[in-house]
Amino acid sequence: MSDSRLKYLLLAPAIILLLVLTVYPLVFAVAASLQTVNVRTGAQRFVGLANFARIASDPLFWNAARNTAIYTGIAVTVELVLGLAMALILTEKFRSRNLFRTIFLTPMMLPPIVAAIIFKIIYMQQYGVANWFLGLLGIKGMLWEAGPRTALFSLVLVDIWEWTPFMFLILLAGLQAIPTDPYEAAKVDGATWFQELRHVTFPLLTPAVLIAVLLRLMDTLRIFDQVFVMTGGGPANSTETLSLYVYQTGFRFFDVGYATAMSFILLVATTVISNIFISRLRAEEVFSQ
Amino acid sequence: MIWRILRAVLLLFVAVIVIFPVAWLVSTSFKTDVDIFGIPPMLFPQHPTGSRYAQLWTYGLLAYLVNSVIVAISTAVITIVVGTLAAFSLARFRLPGKWNARVSFWILSTRMFPPIITVIPLFQLMRFLGLVDTRLGLVIAYAAFNVPFVVWMMRGFIVEIPRDLEEVAMVDGCSRMRAFRSISLPLVVPGLAATAIFTVIMSWQEFLFALVLTQTPASSTLPILVSSQITQYQILWGQMGAAGTITMVPVLVFAFSVQRYLVRGMSFGAVKG
Repeated sequence: MSDSRLKYLLLAPAIILLLVLTVYPLVFAVAASLQTVNVRTGAQRFVGLANFARIASDPLFWNAARNTAIYTGIAVTVELVLGLAMALILTEKFRSRNLFRTIFLTPMMLPPIVAAIIFKIIYMQQYGVANWFLGLLGIKGMLWEAGPRTALFSLVLVDIWEWTPFMFLILLAGLQAIPTDPYEAAKVDGATWFQELRHVTFPLLTPAVLIAVLLRLMDTLRIFDQVFVMTGGGPANSTETLSLYVYQTGFRFFDVGYATAMSFILLVATTVISNIFISRLRAEEVFSQ
Repeated sequence: MIWRILRAVLLLFVAVIVIFPVAWLVSTSFKTDVDIFGIPPMLFPQHPTGSRYAQLWTYGLLAYLVNSVIVAISTAVITIVVGTLAAFSLARFRLPGKWNARVSFWILSTRMFPPIITVIPLFQLMRFLGLVDTRLGLVIAYAAFNVPFVVWMMRGFIVEIPRDLEEVAMVDGCSRMRAFRSISLPLVVPGLAATAIFTVIMSWQEFLFALVLTQTPASSTLPILVSSQITQYQILWGQMGAAGTITMVPVLVFAFSVQRYLVRGMSFGAVKG
């Protein structure tokens, strides 16, 4: 067979599967978001942009958007700072370094659903180990994921526990890829530890930071598993995230048109944010190959 | 010297924070209710019991386990075959114009898709095809979701093998595919195995699609068993711990077995660890 036909033939199965995954849902989403479906009769009615107009005045949507933004903002920031600190410490040379590196990766390798139930168990109110420990320190026990004011924070804490290792992993790889010459030059110039960090390490680490933050952002913006299992969006919608609200609208209230309209907004937001990072990464020539 | 001591203390502290919750899960799975609701909470159960696992077994653990294994392996086989062929095409051939870059970027950009936007249309599609609550339906969904990952990973591995090797074989009379199969493919086997393990992990632990596309033990996977221990009226702490442990252990074993490729796998091939 000639190469010119072979190259398309090899690509075809993958392309077909990806069409199922991307183009079909997009077409479906556009069509569905312009309709409303009567759950009882199954009749569909074209409603134009009514579903999108409804988003604008739906306090529950904006509540979910706010929760998602807070979750994303806090989780990714804290994970970046802690992950960077751990990566810097574990690039130093000492015995048992590799052991600690391996141990620190464990949370990231757990299925998210398992991380969620672990903390569900730890957060138990009367008999939970978290409150028992706070008691030892003389602090009154909290409601954790069951309290309207602490729930979102409790979920973010799980995310930080599980995903700081991811930041750590990517940043560690980034640090190891930095050649030694710039550091030697900095030493010759008499740079302090902090100057070295600021003027050598950080600039050269930028691509790794961008990738790590981008991948975390995409995952926190769509956060679902942990929330579904730990709180179901409660109490009083205080942990309702966008994905969860879309799920409930679509599969509990069968309002498919409105659910897809909202998921569309989530897609647009994710795409816009991701593209900011990707264009920066292109500038850093990470995806050039 | 002070820094070394401080560092040791800090590292040990973090190690405890990392390990303790995992140990707590396993410990809970071996506790009776008396121990679960005991004060102070205990890491080592006073009355260790295997009854949680036995209860799960009578609840139908085996069906969930079998579903998870079948779905994970089928997904891995399909995505590896489909993805590697596409990766070979993208790595070795030039499409006209800028289409190499375009196709590559399109494949990468599917990683941006929040699963929630695909899950509603996919559910409708599966209902139309009569594949709701079948393992096949779940496998199709997972395959579609993991193909971009496999293409991107395998493309990276194949690009690293010099194409000259294949061309030498072709001068000797091999066909294109024969040259790929007998020259390049053996060289990318470690990467291929790692990629396959990543796809196994991803389908093993996936929750949203499983939640929507499966309904009964006929096709439900382990994460569903875990979450179903939380009922409207109570939480079956012990069984939940046991189900969680069973779901977790294979993933941990697999993940540590591909530790060398972890950076690449987790960064979608963007960072070469």
